[in-house]
Amino acid sequence: MIRLENVSKMYGSDQPAVRDASFDVPKGEFVFLVGPSGSGKSTLLRLMNRQERPERGNVWVAGRNINEMANSQIPFLRRTMGNVFQDYKLLPNKTVFENVAFALEVIGKPKHVIAQQVPQVLDLVGLAGKEDRFPHQLSGGEQQRVSIARAFVNRPLILLADEPTGNLDPATGEGIMALLDAINRTGTTIVMATHDHRVVNAMRRRVIQLDRGVIVRDQERGVYE
Amino acid sequence: MIQRVSYALRETYASFRRNVTLSMAAVITSAVSLLLVGTTFLIQRAFDNLLVQWRGDVGMIVFVRPDVTPEALEFIQQNLKSQPNVVDVNKLDYLDKAASFEEAKRVFIGDPTTLSLLSIDTIPSQFKVVPITTDPELVRSLADQYRTLPGVAGVSLAEDEFDVISTLSGFVRTVTIGMSLVLLAVAVVLIWNTIRTAIFARRREIEVMKLVGATDWFIRVPFILEGLIQGLMGAVVSCGGLWALNQAWTSGVAGFKPGTGVSALVVPGSYVSGVMIALLVIGAVAGGVGSGVASSKFLDV
Repeated sequence: MIRLENVSKMYGSDQPAVRDASFDVPKGEFVFLVGPSGSGKSTLLRLMNRQERPERGNVWVAGRNINEMANSQIPFLRRTMGNVFQDYKLLPNKTVFENVAFALEVIGKPKHVIAQQVPQVLDLVGLAGKEDRFPHQLSGGEQQRVSIARAFVNRPLILLADEPTGNLDPATGEGIMALLDAINRTGTTIVMATHDHRVVNAMRRRVIQLDRGVIVRDQERGVYE
Repeated sequence: MIQRVSYALRETYASFRRNVTLSMAAVITSAVSLLLVGTTFLIQRAFDNLLVQWRGDVGMIVFVRPDVTPEALEFIQQNLKSQPNVVDVNKLDYLDKAASFEEAKRVFIGDPTTLSLLSIDTIPSQFKVVPITTDPELVRSLADQYRTLPGVAGVSLAEDEFDVISTLSGFVRTVTIGMSLVLLAVAVVLIWNTIRTAIFARRREIEVMKLVGATDWFIRVPFILEGLIQGLMGAVVSCGGLWALNQAWTSGVAGFKPGTGVSALVVPGSYVSGVMIALLVIGAVAGGVGSGVASSKFLDV
């Protein structure tokens, strides 16, 4: 589903953010990218939806080399991927329903599809009945659920999550992980960057560890070391 | 499709309201600059009316009495052609009564009283003479000769009639065109800046839109539309101003005594409408360009 071939990315002239990274994520897999801040986890995620382009190497998504894709094709690439962030990136002046509906609206989905899919996905993430709340009226965990609903409402092939539990207390984080696990079980490939030991150790999924931009470990059913 | 159009319009309206002061500044600036552009056109047209008789380097006009005998007319024409040192014989032009009457309609546009006294039968026909010499005294002495010929109603010299006006017209044109171009540039920059601010205000939304796969055009269109509407609103205001200005001018000119030449400075309504359409187009294009540049510059993928 996702393949990186000898990918290097520099910011400025000094040390590269990612150096010679290669790995393959099959369809339906759940992968953790772990490592300290600045080790290149987020950069790897940004390379996968082409928010960044590598200086060297190739990134393949769903069988296509996304570095060679025309700019005009990028929106369609991104419609096959959902994004979840540490800071949720919800729009404060829109309700829960509107935030999720927005993702469908801007890709031109008709109203009746929105009216059908949004309640469905809100139900899935456990926010049924809170459609009309605004983000500031929700807890952090609930806000992250809205953001996951928004990422998943279009049924993407891939979900990219950047520290989704980073702002949450452990119990709430567990709830989020259960939700991501459930989404993974529907066949969605998930790549999640984190430095949360507990989460990684509890899930026992594939772990790719980074240190200063270099992959130092790639282990099935791994733990955080 | 309808959904996308309504989305774009809704976003445009919301953004306009959010930035109402900046938007108004952009609208007013484009209105003022377009008003100047329009005024330039009108002034130009008014001077053209005044100068229409003298178009094409005509330096002398010999007016021929409407009741002239064919022999006398022939004599005048032959006489003009026999002056190759003073007259550019190839450019010698004769306007018969019908052509002279058409011309008079423009010259006396603001003076309906005089115009109503003229008819195709009573109007003098005319020889338009382009001098070949650069010596004004030669032309003047030739004019004096013709005044006494049979059948000649009168002789006018460009020198006496329009040198001042022509100089003035050129000067006014340069100044107004220059000022309107500068103001138009200011309007484009202001619209550009309004759109930049609008984009900045909505950067979170735009980031989300890009991540969920909205196309660039989907994101851009509301902003471009906003700039276009600002330019168009400015143009509408300037059209109103231009109309009021022309009304005031026309009624002002009507107050002058007939025959002073000022009456030719009136601009016909059809021409004013043409200028207004041009202003609407210029306004929309200027707004579209300003916002288009801003939205492609600040919305990089």
